[in-house]
Order: sequence, then C-alpha cells, then structure tokens
Amino acid sequence: MSTSLRDTLVRERYLTRFSWALQDHPKDKQIVRELRTELTATAAEVGMRAAVADLGHPRVLADAYLNELGRPVPRWATGAVWGALAVGAVAYLAFAYGIGTLDTIGQMGGGTLERVFLGATTTFTNDDGAVSVSSTLTWQVLVFYAAVFTVPFLLGARVWRVWAGSPATARAAHA
Amino acid sequence: MDEPRDPQLLKGVLPMLVLALLTERESYGYELVTRLHEGGLDDLSAGTLYPVLNRLERDGQISSRLVASSAGPARKYYVPTPAGTDQLWSTARSWQQLSTTVELMLARATPKESS
Repeated sequence: MSTSLRDTLVRERYLTRFSWALQDHPKDKQIVRELRTELTATAAEVGMRAAVADLGHPRVLADAYLNELGRPVPRWATGAVWGALAVGAVAYLAFAYGIGTLDTIGQMGGGTLERVFLGATTTFTNDDGAVSVSSTLTWQVLVFYAAVFTVPFLLGARVWRVWAGSPATARAAHA
Repeated sequence: MDEPRDPQLLKGVLPMLVLALLTERESYGYELVTRLHEGGLDDLSAGTLYPVLNRLERDGQISSRLVASSAGPARKYYVPTPAGTDQLWSTARSWQQLSTTVELMLARATPKESS
C-alpha cells in the first residue's frame, strides 16, 4: 500500500523537525530512517496523524533519544552557528571600518591611505576618479580568520564532550 | 480511577517490562505499545518506547529482524539476546527486593495517617 501525498507531507514535516533536533546524536540518520519506516508501517494500522501524534513533540522525542545515550554529546550545529556569527561580526566590523575610512578620506579632500594588518596591506582610495578598497592576503590573516571561527565553534559545540564518558564509565574508572 | 503516575516511576522499569514482553514473544515497536497498554500502562506513548528500544538494541540486550508485511513496509521485530535475558532476571530480582523495601516503609507510614 503506497502512502498518500498528505500522509507523506505529515510524516516528512515531523521527521524534518525531529532530525534537526536529533542532529547531535551519533546515529541520527539511522534513527530517522528507522522512524520513517516505523511511521509508515504504523500508519497502515492507525493512520498517519495518529501515528505521528503518538510520538509526541519532535524535540521531546529527540531529547529522549539523546538522554538514552547516557552521556552529553557535542553540539556541532550550534558550534557552527557560533563560528559563523563570530566571522560575520568581524567581517561587519572590517566593512564598517572600511566605510568609515573612505568617508574620512573624502571629507579630508580625497586621496589614498594604506593600512597593514597582520602583514596584509589594505589600500583605501577616495578621490574624484574612483572609490576603491584593495587588499593583499597573507597566511597570518587566514590564520586569524580561522581562529575567529574555530574558537567560538569549539566552545559552542562543547567539544570537551567528545571525551566525556557516561556516568557508569566514570564510576567504573574510579572503582 | 487510577492515580496520575509520575513518569519517572515508569522510566526505571520500562526496559525490564520490554524485555519481559519480548521474552514472552517477539514484537515490533507499535505492537509492544499496544501490549503495554493492555497490561495497564495505557498512558504510555510510542515516543516513550522507541528510544528505549533503540538503547536496548545498541546495548546488545535485544536483536531485531525484518519481517515483510503485505500492508506496508517490512516490520522490525525485536527479541531478547542472551545478555538481555540475563539483564531481565537480574533487574527483576532487584525490582522485587526494592518493591519489598518500599512496601515495608509505606506500611510503617500508614498508621500515622490514620491517627
């Protein structure tokens, strides 16, 4: 028996929210796949809406799976968001600095100004002929941006949880 | 009318009940929910059971096999492993000891309520 389009949409909407909440689980894709099969099979008995409703809120179900691991897990998606926000904040500040510098040059009658940051030379030009910003790139700048992303990423992801065992493991280690 | 049940009470015994039911006969997920309802746990949802099944299988206490179904996709049937059977009877003995202790303590408390 094939699943109707409406039932498919109900199922996939639930599984999308569930998989987003479960993404830090080591076996998240396998669990979503098995739950899809189970929902489809259960829907044949009780209908898709009842089968989905019986699972409860997708975040609560995902939390239950994560709690059954018996240990905290890293939150890679959260870490990636923190890293991206940090890089975005620095890029915004650099952009604002550039705009301010060009405006100041214009107010002072035009001209060219060079600034050096970590070995990279940035040239700001604002005169009657052109408004431009150009920059060289150094490995130090690349390392800087990598660090701006990596440190918040590792903190946001709670990377130390990779080495965290379960409470039972900790008790056995101290026995 | 039954007393509303603290979910934490069920959380501790549910793996043992799942192993007990699967020892009686193998079942797929939703069928286990139905059997638990028939046993008196009518407020138990599939969302409570499925993570427990996942953990029991990950811990090697139950194994599974796919059985083709004419009404839809293949069903995953669960059955206890030897390790799961050992765990069931170990947990059952612990439960019986705890149950005896709880009943004794509640019996001591009861006369104070009626005085």
